[in-house]
Amino acid sequence: MSFYVYTLFFFFFVYFILAMGLNIQFGETGILNFAYIGFVAIGSYVTGATSLPKANTGIAAGQHFILGLNLPFPFNLLAGGIVSSLLAVIVAFIALRRLRTDYLAMVLISLSLVLYDVCNNFVPLFNGPDGLYNIPEPMSGVFHLDSNQFVGFFAAVTGIIALIMYLFMNRIMSSPLGRTFRAIRDDPGVASTLGKNIFKYQITSMVIGAFFAGIGGGLIIQFGGSFNPSAWLPGETFVVFAVIIVGGVGNNVGLLVGALLVETLLIHLPAFLPDIPGRPGLIEYFSAMVIGIVLMAMLWFRPQGMLPERVRKFPAPAGELLNRDGHSVVAPTPVEAVATTNSAAQVADAHEGNDAW
Amino acid sequence: MHQFVLSIAFGLVTASVLAIASVGLSLQFGITNYVNFAYGDFMALGAFFSYDLNNLYLHLNIWVALVFGSLLMGILAVGINRALLSPFARKFDKPFYVLIVTFGLSLVILNVIYSFWGANIRSYRTPVQYVKHVGPFLLTINQMIVMAIAVVLMLLVHVLLKTTRLGKSMRAMSDNASLAMTSGIDTQRITTITWFLSGTMAGLAGTVLGISEGNLTPASGELFLFVIFAAVIVGGVGSIYGAMAGALIIGLATEVSASFINASYKLDVAFAILILTLLFKPSGVFARSGKA
Repeated sequence: MSFYVYTLFFFFFVYFILAMGLNIQFGETGILNFAYIGFVAIGSYVTGATSLPKANTGIAAGQHFILGLNLPFPFNLLAGGIVSSLLAVIVAFIALRRLRTDYLAMVLISLSLVLYDVCNNFVPLFNGPDGLYNIPEPMSGVFHLDSNQFVGFFAAVTGIIALIMYLFMNRIMSSPLGRTFRAIRDDPGVASTLGKNIFKYQITSMVIGAFFAGIGGGLIIQFGGSFNPSAWLPGETFVVFAVIIVGGVGNNVGLLVGALLVETLLIHLPAFLPDIPGRPGLIEYFSAMVIGIVLMAMLWFRPQGMLPERVRKFPAPAGELLNRDGHSVVAPTPVEAVATTNSAAQVADAHEGNDAW
Repeated sequence: MHQFVLSIAFGLVTASVLAIASVGLSLQFGITNYVNFAYGDFMALGAFFSYDLNNLYLHLNIWVALVFGSLLMGILAVGINRALLSPFARKFDKPFYVLIVTFGLSLVILNVIYSFWGANIRSYRTPVQYVKHVGPFLLTINQMIVMAIAVVLMLLVHVLLKTTRLGKSMRAMSDNASLAMTSGIDTQRITTITWFLSGTMAGLAGTVLGISEGNLTPASGELFLFVIFAAVIVGGVGSIYGAMAGALIIGLATEVSASFINASYKLDVAFAILILTLLFKPSGVFARSGKA
């Protein structure tokens, strides 16, 4: 029983990390990244391949893959995140040039399928359709854990990593960089007239998001010990979108709520239900349908999500002196206030403005 | 050399399937100005409607089942637009919402198909196929019929768009929907008809895909969707003739390349062409202003 609970916790934390990564791309910068799960998969594969010894030796007998560096725990995870980020740079350079939102989405979803297809068919890369398996359980040798204890231990490790990444993401979002991202999302035209190089910031956003995706993917393969192409068809990207939209676009705490509602309640809890006799997989199909329907209902009735984005406002102080141009003579003191809610409609505005791409 | 000639014939068959699918997607994109990410699942659903008519109820001849299955999908597409997509498009006049909704719709339809038909690989009941020599090519009767359907359909679409009042209205709406509305075109009626055409063509494409490949699975439409995207982007999004040209380019390229490299990399060839197009002519071969 505790095994199940730890598993639930683990996936809750991982999807929180994944949602933060997609949120900085989509929620903060306005890039509709339909290839997100591809970045997760690359992180997963690289983490797996770097933690295994050379292909076809020792525990990796019968497996074909590149790398095989036998790296210890946090380094293989970082390798996954970094390679995923590198991929994001390449993708961003090709796809973010002059593309309208829906084109970009078409190209990215195609990319996701092609990555899938290449990994599935080109066996020497990441062992083809069988995927990687027998990935060593990190640190269980150090603490002498059996596989049951490992599940709880690694769920806790993942929780700590999620916390670190949350603090890191909060720093980014409240920094000038984060403000620039939001400015680009809300109106790329205005942002570029203020001298912001939109393309550069979009690449930065893609890279940060892809790093989160890679780390999340790495954690998944470390937890389960295996990863294969069937785990990352394009529909999986949709689950992460559902987490963000249900939780609240642009709100990290909202993502926590979204991860709980979508990932834990709708995906992993039903996965523990016994199969209906004679109809294998029916529960899985139903939970996928429910996610689709929940997301549509959410967009219709509460597009800003469960916890909406908190918008800082900087109103001019009352009674201040204005010069002839209407600018304040006295420098206005910023007043931080939780004022209006920024619905996803503003995200949509950013997309509308993307025609300039 | 012989292999090369044969692969051109296969390329033309793939291009035929692709042309039907791409034109169906482009028609709808031109009118509503958003991409339907559930189009691949429309194809699969239409294919399974035909499958049931062919194998389960009525036991219709495959070509009769094809017609009725596709029409059924066309009607369903109108229903989906009325009940779901059009309200979203009206409520939030930004394309972003509808994109996410069609993405969600694709997940729902795919899993509906899985729940009803299961994950097994199925195939249509067709007469035994013999390979015939047609000029330098080797083709089965089914493949020739698929090509004939595509050619006739492309001609019909051309006649519809260029000579009929309905086609003119569709082109007007595609250029500028609000201007078309103020000129007295019933845009809602045009939208409904377009969805019907798009859904029907999705059903046709899904079924002929199943016939020409010899099998169908719930996910086959979704995998094919990406090849459609490649054809549509290479041709120039929103342009019907671009979609036809793109289908020909991608169809031939994927099949001809399969005679030189491993056939399992067909999709990647399509993607490589897509990337090259994006790098050197991002608006596509038949670019349309305002749509790219």
